[in-house]
Amino acid sequence: MSERTESLHAIDDGEAFEAVSDTTMSREERYRRLFDRLILAPGRIVWDDLRARIGASIILLYVLVGLFGPRLYKAPRVNQGPRSVTPLSEGLAYPLGTDNLGRDILAQLIHATPSMLQMITAGGLFVTIMGVTVGTTAGYAGGRTDRVLSLITDIVMTIPGLPLIVILAALLAPQNPIVTGLILTVNVWAGLAREIRSQVLSISRHSYVEASKAMGLSTPTIIVKDILPNIMPYVLITFVNAARQVIFASIGLYFLGVLPYDSVVNWGVMIDQAVSGGAMHVVSMAHWLIAPLATITLLSFGLILFSQGTDRMFNPRVRARHSTTTGSDDEPTDDDAAATTGGVVR
Amino acid sequence: MSGRADAATVPKTDTESEVVLSCRDLSVEFRMDRGTSRVLNGLDIDIERNEIIGVVGESGSGKSMFASALLDAVVEPGVTSGEITYRPSEGESVDVLDLSDDRLRQLRWEEISMVFQGALSSFNPTLKLRGHFVETLEAHDYDVEAGLERTRELLSDLYLDPDRVLDSYPHELSGGMKQRALIALSLVLEPEVLVMDEPTAALDLLMQRSIVSLLSDLRDKYDLTMVFITHDLPLVTKLADRIGVLYAFELAEVGSTEEILSDPKHPYTRALLNSTPDIDSPLEEMRPIEGAAPDPVNVPSGCPYHERCPMATEDCATIKPDMEAASATHDVACHHWERVDDEIDLTTEVDR
Amino acid sequence: MQRYYLERTLQAVVTVASVMSLAFFLLRLMPGNPADAYRAELIQNNPQMTQAEIDYRVERKLNVLPDAPLHEQYLNYVTGLLSGDLGESINEGVPVSEIIAEALPWTIFTMSIALLISFAIGISLGAVMAYKEGSYFDSGASVVSILFNSIPNYIIGILLIWFLGYQFELFPTGGRYSTEMEPTVGLLEPIQTLAFLGDALWHAALLILSYAIVASGGWALRMRGNSIQVLGEDYLRVARLRGLSERRIATRYVGRNAVLPLYTALLIAIGFALGGSVILEQVFTYPGVGYYMIEGLEARDYPLMMGVFLVMTIAVVLGVYIADLTYGLIDPRAQTRGGEH
Repeated sequence: MSERTESLHAIDDGEAFEAVSDTTMSREERYRRLFDRLILAPGRIVWDDLRARIGASIILLYVLVGLFGPRLYKAPRVNQGPRSVTPLSEGLAYPLGTDNLGRDILAQLIHATPSMLQMITAGGLFVTIMGVTVGTTAGYAGGRTDRVLSLITDIVMTIPGLPLIVILAALLAPQNPIVTGLILTVNVWAGLAREIRSQVLSISRHSYVEASKAMGLSTPTIIVKDILPNIMPYVLITFVNAARQVIFASIGLYFLGVLPYDSVVNWGVMIDQAVSGGAMHVVSMAHWLIAPLATITLLSFGLILFSQGTDRMFNPRVRARHSTTTGSDDEPTDDDAAATTGGVVR
Repeated sequence: MSGRADAATVPKTDTESEVVLSCRDLSVEFRMDRGTSRVLNGLDIDIERNEIIGVVGESGSGKSMFASALLDAVVEPGVTSGEITYRPSEGESVDVLDLSDDRLRQLRWEEISMVFQGALSSFNPTLKLRGHFVETLEAHDYDVEAGLERTRELLSDLYLDPDRVLDSYPHELSGGMKQRALIALSLVLEPEVLVMDEPTAALDLLMQRSIVSLLSDLRDKYDLTMVFITHDLPLVTKLADRIGVLYAFELAEVGSTEEILSDPKHPYTRALLNSTPDIDSPLEEMRPIEGAAPDPVNVPSGCPYHERCPMATEDCATIKPDMEAASATHDVACHHWERVDDEIDLTTEVDR
Repeated sequence: MQRYYLERTLQAVVTVASVMSLAFFLLRLMPGNPADAYRAELIQNNPQMTQAEIDYRVERKLNVLPDAPLHEQYLNYVTGLLSGDLGESINEGVPVSEIIAEALPWTIFTMSIALLISFAIGISLGAVMAYKEGSYFDSGASVVSILFNSIPNYIIGILLIWFLGYQFELFPTGGRYSTEMEPTVGLLEPIQTLAFLGDALWHAALLILSYAIVASGGWALRMRGNSIQVLGEDYLRVARLRGLSERRIATRYVGRNAVLPLYTALLIAIGFALGGSVILEQVFTYPGVGYYMIEGLEARDYPLMMGVFLVMTIAVVLGVYIADLTYGLIDPRAQTRGGEH
């Protein structure tokens, strides 16, 4: 009987309403938590997945080579060594041999990396900024703005990228790697804008955004706090795609001579010179062609591996399928059984 | 009639009903990195022919596992052990868990059928309803013409327009229609037993009650045995002949519906009934059950309910209670069931 | 549903109009634009020519009237395009539309085959990979798919030409068909037609192969992802319990539902395939439209370049438009929702 009276009092005195949330966080803790969510948690996901780990390591290797390589290794010069030397035949002097003008091949590879990295960074940043801005604005503003922006986005998405790039390259003849990077990714931002727009639309419907609005938080605040953290995975993937397009397109266009390369050292240029220098017909010259080929393949491989590995960030089913190694949340409970573990039945 | 089968006899009720499904020591285990998860723990239960038995339990109590186990369809990597004896009205009894792949394939849907929670995702989105029925008939070598005739009758019995439904794609039907169509699909091969796992959970209240009332008619017309598994006790009281209560992966109590509702003998059942929200009852009478359900990897020894039970004694923590007969049609697994009337009030009344 | 068709048609029209405007802008309005450049060149090389004659030449080549007011220029340009006048090639001296009309079928020939082959192989592979998810086969096939998908297709092209073309001389290293062959496509001459087609295929084989090797990997990975998702769906479990054969489940349940979302990806791939022909056809010296774009570039032949660009874009817009409209035919859910996918 006393139980009953107690609970009656709880209701009368409003005691029930005085229960505060069990955890309160200081400002410092909140920032630490934000840091964890935006940087550490994705970092952990990357580290956990073998593919992402390998991919990230490869990418890191290239970045390091791009940053420090030219300082540590000699620059390629005509006649710096005997012509058409095969790899390692002169000891470590020319580890990958020389081309038909006596230039050290490894030197060429290394010294071409910084400009490639510059192109990738420029292109990636351009795509990200354009895509996020357009996508967020369209999704958040709605109405006319949205319709106009979406139309533009769709048009840019439909135009075949490479031909447009060829024309722009012909008209502008860019030498600066940053400008080149921008041109090479002129159409990639549209895909990101579209994805972000649909993300913003679906997130805006969530009650926590409505609550923020009702509380009178300013629009930029809402965008930064509620929306941006959720679109990070898409940004990451698009950055990797943009990088891939920069690499593939630049190599191809340098190879074809579409992009001017009087003073530029670039892997694509090397391939072009190797082919026109007869590397395909003379076996002893094969290394001249293989070296840049392998370099390009390795970098793209790393990029794709990385993006495949981070795919898990939005594919929880793949994780749940291997349920014996997951944490308690993912174990098959009574009700989740069919859904999470894929309903594999004998 | 339920109860542990002693070596000598299989007890019979006075009403002389047959047992169509008989489970002995039914368990389901999942081997995890952090331990073995036992989501069903040594269940003994008999299901009588042509009855509707409701199996009630909280989320995570093992009820969906029980449903799947009856068709030997527990998802991998779960391991089902024990014995499920199926006695068809004609032919030999078989142990469902011990069948060859082919025989199991035949048993499922032809003799024991199942309706899942969430009819919304039980149909192939790119196949019309008719296609679903036809392919099921064909897969079991049944006469398609006759089967479709039967289907039309089933659909009408479920208050669906056969022509319209058969020619539709799943997304063109409402939730309630899909659920009823799913019931029809599960009955198309004329099974003897129908297992239903939360068949109405995703629907609105009105639809829930309507479907539940349909089921009783179906049982009568098609001579079915139904196992209705749910967390929603009030929903099943009007439908079921008997009710079984699951707690922490074990059977706490089984009995006729009247007895369970008016005089439950297990403290958990009492608490469950007391906590049932009722629009009419005043706020003070609402009693949630304190504590939380146990973790399947770490089920406490002794009675699984002892940590939350107000009547628990030292024995309860170490000795697992056997099923004892509180009456001819009522079994309970509790050491102190005789004292339950005095110690725990039944504060709410759930109507039949 | 009508509204959807209307919207899509409108969008296609607007896209084409925008691209034409873009072309005009690039051709005429940018600093250092080709129209001015060509005009200056003419003036320099032909001091005796009258202004009117020069203007006439510029107009014939580029479809642009240099001195008229801007909106007149724009109108003239667009009407010219709509009537099929893509200007005249500065180098070859023939109408651009002629060059393109001759080359386009070959690009379409090779790219369609390449798309279909890579799609078919990729889908089948992806489905098997999903079924055997987690097995060595799956991991191995995934790595191989990723590997091939991360090499530019023209690099594979170079390698193929190198080995199979030059070293082993199994395939021709250029051209659309052998010089002795007479192009015959006619039902009345089946043998010659077959021989011709066979020869054409032999020439296009390495090009198609380069594209297919790289693209299949991408399709396989995508199909694998989709299939895995479908394999987790409830209706799969119910289908098994209903006793359906594995074969039926694999095709009608998993296959169908996993492939549908790839339809849009296929559309996008058309655009990429056409665009990619720009590089690939150079590697194989295969005179399709892509080849001529680069030829035009090297000779600073802007009418040709622009013409190819416009034709390619219109082809993509058309392709996407048709596919958009037909999507409702294959996905029942799209019919009622007005085609949103």
